[in-house]
Amino acid sequence: MSESPLKRIWYSTKNLLFELRLHKTGLIGLIILLFYTIVAIFAPYIAPNDPNKMQLADSYAYPEWFAIFPKYRNLPRNIFLNIGYHDWSISIEGDNLSVDEVNGYTVIIARCSDHTSYGSVLMEYSFNYSYDPPRRFEGEIPYRVDIYDATGSYVRIKCFIITPSGRSYELYDSRPIAYNLSRLDAPGTYDARDVFLKIKLGFSPHDYLGEKIFNEKGTYTLRLLVQVFTVKGDGYVEVKLANKTFRIYGMLYGLLGTDNLGCDLFSNLVYGTRISLIVGILASIISVSLGLIVGLIAGYKGGITDQILMFFTDTLLFMPILPLIIAISVFIGKSLYLEIALIALLSWMGLARNIRAYVMSLRDSMYVEAARAIGASDMYIVFRHILPQLSPLIYISLVMRIPGAILLEATLSFLNLGDPSVPSWGRMLYNARYAGAFSRLMWWWVIPPGLAITFLALAFILLGHALDEILNPRLRVRR
Amino acid sequence: MSTTSSLLRYMARRAVDRVAVLFLSLVLQFLLLRVLPYYVLGIDPSFFFLNPNLTETQRELIRKQFGLDEPLFSQFVKYVLCLFTGRLGYSFYTRRPVISELLERLPNTILLLGTSTILTIIIGLIIGIIAVSKRGSRFDATVIGTSIFISAFPVFYIGLLLLLIFGFYLRWFPLAGTVSRPPPKDPVAYLADVLWHLALPLTTIVVAGAGGFALFIRNLFLTQLGEDYVLTARAKGLSEREVMYKHVMRNVLPPVINILALELPGIISGAVVVETVFSWYGVGRWLFDAAMQFDYPVVQAVLFIQVVLTIVSLYIADLVIAILDPRVRLR
Repeated sequence: MSESPLKRIWYSTKNLLFELRLHKTGLIGLIILLFYTIVAIFAPYIAPNDPNKMQLADSYAYPEWFAIFPKYRNLPRNIFLNIGYHDWSISIEGDNLSVDEVNGYTVIIARCSDHTSYGSVLMEYSFNYSYDPPRRFEGEIPYRVDIYDATGSYVRIKCFIITPSGRSYELYDSRPIAYNLSRLDAPGTYDARDVFLKIKLGFSPHDYLGEKIFNEKGTYTLRLLVQVFTVKGDGYVEVKLANKTFRIYGMLYGLLGTDNLGCDLFSNLVYGTRISLIVGILASIISVSLGLIVGLIAGYKGGITDQILMFFTDTLLFMPILPLIIAISVFIGKSLYLEIALIALLSWMGLARNIRAYVMSLRDSMYVEAARAIGASDMYIVFRHILPQLSPLIYISLVMRIPGAILLEATLSFLNLGDPSVPSWGRMLYNARYAGAFSRLMWWWVIPPGLAITFLALAFILLGHALDEILNPRLRVRR
Repeated sequence: MSTTSSLLRYMARRAVDRVAVLFLSLVLQFLLLRVLPYYVLGIDPSFFFLNPNLTETQRELIRKQFGLDEPLFSQFVKYVLCLFTGRLGYSFYTRRPVISELLERLPNTILLLGTSTILTIIIGLIIGIIAVSKRGSRFDATVIGTSIFISAFPVFYIGLLLLLIFGFYLRWFPLAGTVSRPPPKDPVAYLADVLWHLALPLTTIVVAGAGGFALFIRNLFLTQLGEDYVLTARAKGLSEREVMYKHVMRNVLPPVINILALELPGIISGAVVVETVFSWYGVGRWLFDAAMQFDYPVVQAVLFIQVVLTIVSLYIADLVIAILDPRVRLR
């Protein structure tokens, strides 16, 4: 008759699910939970971005679907250009210059001749811009200058942007380069936030350069000018240009916009599911195990062991949990698993007391006495007669403890005591509170993470209540 | 055995228990807040508040002033003695006596937590009792549903939502603080200003707490109403009102008193989360800030006060319950 324990667990789980079917609230809880679990497992496929990836769009971008409202229709979109050899329209001035594509690089070669010469390559790229002025844009110009046997020659690289009405702004100037220089890995950059650039272009340091330059709709032209001066001789100068990037950071991005660092909020929301589930489930398992062990030992052994254990349990019950966790996690925290351990270590006491009381009543029951009379060992009695009786209580506590752990983790993260590298919902709300989501009225940043916490906690609470009714028929109240 | 002597004996036994628990919790606090960071993890609290340019001797001198150079055991003895004589030490940060800083914040916290606790209890009691007297009705179902739903909200999120809606969108209430700067001169205007600032944090605590309390009351009554003695009382022909107030109430009160006793210390020690969300100048936020700054004297003092108050109020609860319910004394 001895079934394997695994089979027993399988049967009881099946029965449980079957009975859950009849409990409407339990079923709702289960469905919500299933949804969260799927989101957590497939987070990398659901989330469009790495949650910690910054500068995906401008800071505090609006959600993309805001474009259906007229007020937001013309907000700048992300325009990320990556301009290679084939995209440029190139015009060469000077007879000793040649431009070619080698391994994806645009290579300009200027051969020295019997006289000093000056030439330039003008590369232009036009794109259409039809939105409101953006706040930010930036670009990179990766290049490498090699001067072979032509000391005294120099190269100068400039970058301009030309507006539809013909205004021209010089964004980048490399100054004359008369030596070998590689800026392929650390490209020359320009950034609309650069104060010196703003002053150079004649604006105030407080202006948004993007708003000043991109205030027209139409065709903008990026112009890259490579000037080469060669001395007499038979060496040559080689300028190698990798793909030039140009980015206008949009104010409309993703499903939920971006945060203060330009991270995708929707991806953060999706990945937060994992953290909450992990914390809730692990903390609950640890805390229930602790409560079970302490309660079992105290209840079964009784006497002095019981008194010492219960004394310790009571003491912990008297301690204010949240302040204590805060005080400890200040120096111990900043790690997810330590946080889980801390939550679990300070939340097992109530269950230990319940289990102890229950075990005490079981210990004195007739069948345990009978088992003891025929010489059963303590271990046998505990595992064969007492634990199975406790299993409903354990199941229920396992589920009922999860929402508390989830809410506590969210609170700790909201107080900035969580792991900063982990994208949790509490952390999102902390960022929202202290990075200006409130004063910008960004409800799409504030509301989703909190609701996500609430519904996850709610799912476990509903499930717990349903389990309670199924497994504890005695607790069903008389009406 | 007379009633009084059994009561006295019971209370004496409880007193011994409670003092022992208090002592152990002091040891635990000392271990967790002083021994663990300093002696195990090697975090020297003085590191966070000393000028890095000080010489080693100066450092030693300052550490000596705070009594950090003594052996652990004597530190512990001093710590316990000082706590019990009301000398709560000096804040590492402000170098001011903890007690004077505490007194500065105490009125605010008592105002916030006192009013909110009373409101929570009253509202919870009323809703709970109405729900149980109309059990099975639509009102009952609404109460259960709402309470469970609210219990799934993190408290700080309720605060954030209220702040977003009433503070930032509608601009009805201030965004932070306890009183406007500069505070109004006129006392009536001052009071109005404080109440205006009080509204949102107060609502947060009441919303977060009342539902759960109502549900607790409802379930408590419901389990009692299912007991056999109620059936007997009804069978005797007592009116529903008499059953409720004469029989059920007596059995319902002990757990309620216990819960109240657990709530009361919070009036002094404050609500960390809500006070932090609303930048309320109270003990809870102070505790949080102090913990963040490794300001152990403050953290220890507040935790100590909280533990002592919990123990005292539970002791009083024990006394009240023992008077109400003579069975307890014989345990």
